[in-house]
Amino acid sequence: MGEGDTRPPFRYTFRAMAAVHELILWTDERRRANRVARAAIADVLRIEAKFSRYRDDSVTTSINRAAGLAQVAIDAETAALLRYADRCHRLSNGAFDISSGVLRRAWDFRRRPPLVPTSDEIAAAFAHVGWDRVEWNDAHVRLPNPGMELDFGGIGKEYAADRAATICADHGVAAGLVNLGGDVRVIGPRPDGAPWRVGISHPRVDAAVIGTVEVRDGAVATSGDYERYFELDGRRYCHLLDSRTGWPVDHWQSATVVAPLAILAGSYATIAMLLGADAPAFLAQHRVTHLLVRADGTVVTASPSSARDAQVVVA
Amino acid sequence: MAVTDRSPSDLDPSAALIAAALALPGVLSSNAHAQSAPDQGVIALRYYDYRDWQPGASRMSVRSPLLYAFVPLSDAWTVEGSVLHDTMSGASPLYHDTLSGASGLGITDYRSAADAKVTHYFGGQSIAVAGAYSTERDYESRAASIEWKTWSDDRNRTYALGFGATRDRIDSVNGIAKHRHRETYDFLAGITQVLRADAVVESTMTWSQGRGYYDDPYKLLDARPDHRRIFAWLTRYNQYVPAMDATLRIAYRYLDDSFGDRSHMLEAAWVQPLANGFTVTPSLRYLTQSAASFYRDPPFPQGFVAGEPFTADTRLSAFGAVTAGIRVAKAIGADVTVDVAFNLYRQRGDWRAGGNGSPGLAEFSARWFEVGFEKRF
Repeated sequence: MGEGDTRPPFRYTFRAMAAVHELILWTDERRRANRVARAAIADVLRIEAKFSRYRDDSVTTSINRAAGLAQVAIDAETAALLRYADRCHRLSNGAFDISSGVLRRAWDFRRRPPLVPTSDEIAAAFAHVGWDRVEWNDAHVRLPNPGMELDFGGIGKEYAADRAATICADHGVAAGLVNLGGDVRVIGPRPDGAPWRVGISHPRVDAAVIGTVEVRDGAVATSGDYERYFELDGRRYCHLLDSRTGWPVDHWQSATVVAPLAILAGSYATIAMLLGADAPAFLAQHRVTHLLVRADGTVVTASPSSARDAQVVVA
Repeated sequence: MAVTDRSPSDLDPSAALIAAALALPGVLSSNAHAQSAPDQGVIALRYYDYRDWQPGASRMSVRSPLLYAFVPLSDAWTVEGSVLHDTMSGASPLYHDTLSGASGLGITDYRSAADAKVTHYFGGQSIAVAGAYSTERDYESRAASIEWKTWSDDRNRTYALGFGATRDRIDSVNGIAKHRHRETYDFLAGITQVLRADAVVESTMTWSQGRGYYDDPYKLLDARPDHRRIFAWLTRYNQYVPAMDATLRIAYRYLDDSFGDRSHMLEAAWVQPLANGFTVTPSLRYLTQSAASFYRDPPFPQGFVAGEPFTADTRLSAFGAVTAGIRVAKAIGADVTVDVAFNLYRQRGDWRAGGNGSPGLAEFSARWFEVGFEKRF
């Protein structure tokens, strides 16, 4: 990798999973970059088709349709995602729960004018939340009660980012990164050896950054209260719902985490949002570099000594 | 709220989560050192039109369509092959100014050839097995080869070793050569090294050892040794030039032939991408060689001694030759490329490096056009 290499990378932008994604690939020629990008994008689309809860033929839909009925056979990939989601559930003391999507029945973030649901409405939806009650093993899963649902939305995109990066690396791309809707996984360091500078979106100012993370490898993910929300009587209600209460979290505006894999960075960031005041202790326990934006807009950052390759710079 | 894992067996919650993440298929390269087979197929059609001449005489022309296909069968197997059919017309090249009339029989009017290659990728290696067959009215050739390649862990270096065997049969139309054979064995050793993100060097040595019939049965008094050893060393260097978004390709080949001739070939090409998918590649090649030990200068047949090797074939004379070429390619979408190329070749005795080429030879010129279409799938 020559220091004098100023050749621009090949960039690809595409839509999937209701977000805009980007691939940045350094290769010797466009034809090869095209081929690699096609393979990576095809896998992202495969994961979307397989796990989208909006598709009639997805694994998620088949599981949800059988709620209260028979168990559904699952493949190894689905089982591995369930096992991972189970770990996140336990790590967060139940705040993270892939069966919490049904809370959307009470919380409609698209409704205009916005409306805070009644406690009865929340309780009705909340009755269907409960990963602890889901019966699952490596070959089957069964939702015990009608009305229960699983939703892989909280981990699917990050999983897809990791797989896309692996596909690029396996096709011989040594330098590049994958950005799936703001979740970044590095394929390999820039050809000039400089770290990737990943901007952290400002949670309150459009198109502004509140900080920068410099990484040579690994992943960066951000979770925030600004993705879907409504405001009523001076309070913001965001789409991140604590599965233990059924209510939106409001301790942090955003949480950004650096981790070896996008799926880890994404889970740490989401769990940090859900854990509220306990987030710094949780992130410190897991020894990950992070940047948290408090409700008042001030910033908390920490880089554990073991995270030599990541550096957070506050804008 | 306590931030602890509820499972008592999990002493380190980080480790438990990371282990679950790593159990997901494909989040990390599990086989980082493997070289998987190329995953894109290619089908290509080329048409080639060659003509050569000497002052005042148009000599031979060749027209040749070629069909090539490359098909990945799986992550581990690829197969490729080509077929071509040449149509030749005109007299045999007038190699020697003073040999007028000695090559009056003309040459074969067609050639059909086919080859196929199967490559297997495993671990950080590949093995390819290939076969080729070619037939003309007076000539038949069969070849088989095997090539092994291995890649370094970072894939920046490739080693290649190869072995090939060829058996030719010559039955000249004029009856001079009847069921004559020639066997050739080739060994190859090569290395390709990525120097930086923008430069690659490749160096390949080949040793060829042949035995059998080497004479040109259409030339009067042509008598060559019945064994031949050739050593060739080819080095290529490709350098990307960011300021121009172009690539400079340089190649040098040294060749040593037991017939006595030695040659140096230097080639440079500039691959310049332009707007709208166009790429223009001008190239220039210079070859200089010494004569075979049994080549005799005109007047023919001066220097002929019965029972000793003798040739007046200008291809074995001492000369210099220049090839100037230009290729224009256009990419149509991501998967289709069309290209046209034109090359002009000129060979003269006094163009030999140092100027002391074989005397008394007419300038020899050739030109060829190529048109190609390639689709990847």
